[in-house]
Amino acid sequence: MTESGFLSRRAFLAGTGATGAAALAGCIGETGGSGDDGSAETTEGGQSVSGGITITGSSTVYPVSVAMAEEFEKANSEVDISVDPTGTGGGFENHFCPGNSDINGASRPITDAEEENCNENGVDPRQFQVASDALTVVVNKDATWVDSITFEELAQIWRPDGAQQWSDVRDDWPDKPLELYGPASTSGTFDWFTENVVGEAGSHRSDYEATEDDNNIVAGVEGSPNAMGYLGFAYYQENSDRVKAVSVAEGDASNAVEPTLENAKSGDYPMARPLFVYPAAGSIQEKDQVYEFLKFYIEQSETDIVTEIGYVPASADLRDDNLETLEEIRNE
Amino acid sequence: MATERSTRDGSWYGDGEGVNQLRGQLFKWGCLGAMLFGIVMVFVLLAYVAIDAIRPLTADPGWHLTFFLTLVAPTSALLGYYGLRDRRSGLVGAIATALPAFCLLVGAGISLLLVDVFRPIEWFGTAVALVVAVGVVYVHRRLRTEPAAFERPIVTVGALVLAVVGVPGVVPSLSQLFRNAPIALNPATMLLYSFAVPVAILTGLAIARRRESRRDGLIAAALTVVGGVLAVIAAPAVGIDDYLLIVLSLSIAAPTAVYVEGVVRERDHLVGLALPIVAYVGTFLGAALVEAYGFAGPEAWLDWQFLTSAHSRFPQEAGIYPALVGSIMMMLVIVVSAFPVGVAAAVYLEEYAPDSGTVGRVVGLIEMNIANLAGVPSVVYGLLGLALFIRYADMNTGSVIVGGLTVGLLILPIVIISSQEAIRAVPNSMRQASYGMGATKWQTVRNVVLPESIPGILTGTILAFGRAIGETAPLLMIGAAAVVFSPPGSFAEKFSAMPRQIFAWSHEPSAEFRYGVLAAGVVTLLVVLLSMNAAAILIRNRYQRRS
Repeated sequence: MTESGFLSRRAFLAGTGATGAAALAGCIGETGGSGDDGSAETTEGGQSVSGGITITGSSTVYPVSVAMAEEFEKANSEVDISVDPTGTGGGFENHFCPGNSDINGASRPITDAEEENCNENGVDPRQFQVASDALTVVVNKDATWVDSITFEELAQIWRPDGAQQWSDVRDDWPDKPLELYGPASTSGTFDWFTENVVGEAGSHRSDYEATEDDNNIVAGVEGSPNAMGYLGFAYYQENSDRVKAVSVAEGDASNAVEPTLENAKSGDYPMARPLFVYPAAGSIQEKDQVYEFLKFYIEQSETDIVTEIGYVPASADLRDDNLETLEEIRNE
Repeated sequence: MATERSTRDGSWYGDGEGVNQLRGQLFKWGCLGAMLFGIVMVFVLLAYVAIDAIRPLTADPGWHLTFFLTLVAPTSALLGYYGLRDRRSGLVGAIATALPAFCLLVGAGISLLLVDVFRPIEWFGTAVALVVAVGVVYVHRRLRTEPAAFERPIVTVGALVLAVVGVPGVVPSLSQLFRNAPIALNPATMLLYSFAVPVAILTGLAIARRRESRRDGLIAAALTVVGGVLAVIAAPAVGIDDYLLIVLSLSIAAPTAVYVEGVVRERDHLVGLALPIVAYVGTFLGAALVEAYGFAGPEAWLDWQFLTSAHSRFPQEAGIYPALVGSIMMMLVIVVSAFPVGVAAAVYLEEYAPDSGTVGRVVGLIEMNIANLAGVPSVVYGLLGLALFIRYADMNTGSVIVGGLTVGLLILPIVIISSQEAIRAVPNSMRQASYGMGATKWQTVRNVVLPESIPGILTGTILAFGRAIGETAPLLMIGAAAVVFSPPGSFAEKFSAMPRQIFAWSHEPSAEFRYGVLAAGVVTLLVVLLSMNAAAILIRNRYQRRS
């Protein structure tokens, strides 16, 4: 009995070892062989593409890229697309410029330092604006006193040593403390808001509830009648029954414009910021799948796919310009 | 209420008001409270997630009633009977009921590996190559009965390497030759040969050993192969690909049949077998009735569609399939990398390392630090993986192999410590007996220590793997993708794992993602994890009974 137990355990050990070795060998064996298949198949589209596309970058552009990837996959199932929200800067620094990613989403234009870094590694980033995001100022549903706000008043609230009470900003607002919720300083939303609304890069107050996840801003503002926060329109759209959006005016309060996608597309809403993707020129020229995907991306950037996510689609002119630029890069 | 006397004036301690039981009672109730608090919290959390994932309240009342009458009521009645009259039969019944469900999960995992990760043709080629290699080794052993030193291991390793890997760029491996050979076999036939036949051999061996009859073993093996053929024939009716059905049906049927055969042959608590019959017949009957009367089932987030499709921006169409396959491939890398290294390290530390002198102190320091490493936060291991595998070794960012190696490093200390414990638990008298019979150190380790400690090693290791499958932070650091739309085609490709996908869902604006889809993902992850733990318990029980 004991003897047979020993034997079977030894057999088990040997079996595990053999299986492990086989599996390891399988890994090695397959890596070499996977490159040359999948090229022969063609679909009804005439030419079909295959291969991998890696997309990194801004978490704001991420939902657009995921939606585009999902739609593209339906027609081109041979293409493996991976999308990872790494943040605009993190994507350039760790993935795109070292050459590990084909496309980097960005919620702000690339900086000179980043461009230099990329060029040093032989990566040539090209800019395409694909959509806009309407930043939305939200308050609690019970904050009946506020319906509109100007850039100047926002600056009073959000600058360093900003207002402590609602009444500090406008006299007819109540003597209640301001509770502020906003994105963390790593986010592109934060950068854009600081630069364009508060007025100066980096001059944003730090005594507010900073969070990486816009859902937390919604939860915070919903929980307190004195709260105010700003976030991407997509998050407001999903939660419009929980928080109230405030109309915003760049100058005079009487010109305040409601945050809607139509107003943002027409250019009336002052807090729409552009969203970009930065493909590497080399990827467009060498990888058919990246070129085809970008063509699809730009063509669809003017459609309802973008609106459904809660972003402002590109105009038809912008789309045509982008397509032209893409062709130029492809033929360089 | 502390009424202890300051002086004991000769009286008996504990007599009169000297001893108070209140403190003891308070301590007891405090412990009970802590236990209840912990268990209730975990249970509430799990129930909350499960309700979000399945949404039982969205079902028709008729649906609930039907399943209550066909499934819940009879099963509960039967369980009540077992509980009152015949506990042993209840256990037999519970195992017989759980085994097919558990095997279904394992079978699903195997089919993922055989069909999606290694395509049938690759598996077939590898299987045939392995058979050839084993044949070569066998023939060599027969012909060279007195081999030179290391001749056998060299021949064995050489045969395996030639069969599976080949010499890169010079000699293609045997398995590649078979893969590329113009064999006109469809996937079903290939899997019949390369999966059904091995399963049949294993079943036959199990039966032959138990019944001590070669004939019975042969019959069992033949029945298994026939079962595989039947699966091919039945496939069009079931609506699953025939090669998939072979893997699924055999991995459920073979272990279940072997277990039931054991119960029936020994006429041991046969009543227990009523439980699986009642449970499964009740399930199918309920499903048929619900279909017939048109009662709507719950609008569960966790459904077949969720398990088989990729992420989508519409919550109803979102699924976890690529992440599930990614997780399983990552586990494969972890098992292949962490298990041998960890066990070898433990064997060295326990059996060979000196425990005195300067070297002994160094070894003691190393052991202490391994224990500390087990407590290092996982995000630190993620950074280590990023620096070591991606920056230094220049592997692909976020590929399966980097993820597996990084998480493998993370659980390595746990594997080492649990293996050490298992090896330490082997009684020293057994080692001494082995030496006493003239065995060398190597023979003792190979023939006594390792076989005796394998159950303990496996239990600890599988629990560690359970931790590995849920790790998120290292995957974030090494750049595993949040979303991929197809499972990775090789181990060097970018992948997403279940915890990474769940984390991505938690950031979606829509509440349907954050509550529904996310909960379904969590339940999937938990089911995979619980079945791994169940496997650990099964293995432990099986070997404990033997020794």
